[in-house]
Amino acid sequence: MKELLQLAWGALLFRDEAYAQHVARADVLKRGLALLVLVTLLAGVVSLIVNLTGDLRPMDTGAQRREAEQSIQEFTRSLRTLRQYFDMPPGFERQMTAYMQAGTEIGFHIAELPTRLSKPVGRILRDLGAFLSLPFSRLAGWIGYALWVLLVAKLLGGRATLSQMLGATALYAAPHILDVLGFVDCLGPMLGLVATVWGIAIYVKALATVNNFSVGRAAVATVVPALVGVALALLGLLVVLVLALVGG
Amino acid sequence: MKALIRLAWEALFLSEVPYAEMRDDSTPLVRGLVLVALVALAVALVGLVGTALEWATTPNMRDVQQIVLDGIQQMPWYQELQSDPEFREMFSQQYELWWRVFPALFGAPDITNAALKIVTLPLGLAFVWLLYGLLAHLFARLLGGQEGLSQTLGCTALAVAPQLLNLATFLPYVAVGSVVSTWTLLCRYVALKTCHRLTWGRALAATLLPYIVFLVVVSFITCLGGAAAALIFGGGTSQ
Repeated sequence: MKELLQLAWGALLFRDEAYAQHVARADVLKRGLALLVLVTLLAGVVSLIVNLTGDLRPMDTGAQRREAEQSIQEFTRSLRTLRQYFDMPPGFERQMTAYMQAGTEIGFHIAELPTRLSKPVGRILRDLGAFLSLPFSRLAGWIGYALWVLLVAKLLGGRATLSQMLGATALYAAPHILDVLGFVDCLGPMLGLVATVWGIAIYVKALATVNNFSVGRAAVATVVPALVGVALALLGLLVVLVLALVGG
Repeated sequence: MKALIRLAWEALFLSEVPYAEMRDDSTPLVRGLVLVALVALAVALVGLVGTALEWATTPNMRDVQQIVLDGIQQMPWYQELQSDPEFREMFSQQYELWWRVFPALFGAPDITNAALKIVTLPLGLAFVWLLYGLLAHLFARLLGGQEGLSQTLGCTALAVAPQLLNLATFLPYVAVGSVVSTWTLLCRYVALKTCHRLTWGRALAATLLPYIVFLVVVSFITCLGGAAAALIFGGGTSQ
């Protein structure tokens, strides 16, 4: 654990020796993954505690109904604002409100249904499940993008093995410990943005170290898959637009 | 058994050592088959426990179905249309049909299905492993690989290692997601590269070509099915 924390600290401060020592190890991928999973779980701990505390309190159905009613009223108000800009059929707001109320009622009735194990057990298991799913979600995003970066890096002459590249780029997760404050209004998203930019910088540095690349070449390998993705999305949009225009 | 599990664990981290060990083994095919069966069985058993816990913390789906139906019947659009008996009959049929499909699509716990997986998952994984292994072997040989089929199958069997991530579903509501399939692709790349001592480009081609063949065959069958359906149904109304 101490070693992992030292690695994370070195990565955060862009220390050359931390990166070089990490990529030279035989267990580079194991260490990288351990760091990624640890950071993701730590960042999610506060949310887990908040959720568990909320879920273990006795449920006040009346308060929940009032909260739901308030949300519906807010939605209706926003529809009224939108009416100034868009043409809506007569009675649209009333109908939408009726449907939302019916949907909420369905939700409350389902929540009242009995379960074989007690409700609090179910809620704890649900919270734990969501918490333990966090690393898998991060892993899926990281590994999915890393595949394309690895391909570009190889085409640019990268010499690192697959496990070295993945183990090195996993360091990008270190700044995401800031996500621990993600639930705080305004500050949370700002820290999220800082963590993302910091993570990208670490990604580039790790890629440069593991492949013996210049920072510029590593930046190209990092950015090209995203640019290709954006270009393909725009191309797809253009094709849809052209087809729509041709079709009348 | 212990050695095989250690090999799978090491293979998960994309080290070439376990793949080389499997290639140089005297019975890679048998070890591969045992590994696939073991991993699949473990995942299915653990999945059954997770599904059972999820089922025990979820309300009865029949009751949920009834509540949703009651709610829909209170909605203005339903009340406008309910005077039409034909609509009522059709809605009732469609609603029953939806409830056979949607709960499974949205991940409602199904213990029968989870129990069946104890049989179907080992069979399914073994089938996919053999099919992929055969195609990958063919392409690896065409791209300059020198090893035999049993070596290829032994090494590609280690690529089931990412299925071990599914052991996390022992706890209900844990979503492992797409990471298993992507990781499997990476393991297959390392397996073919190590087994046949291919360059990275050739190994990548040998890894991806079976997927492309699969996509082409599926597209062909879909088109053929579509054409056949058009001939049958279109032919009947062309007069």
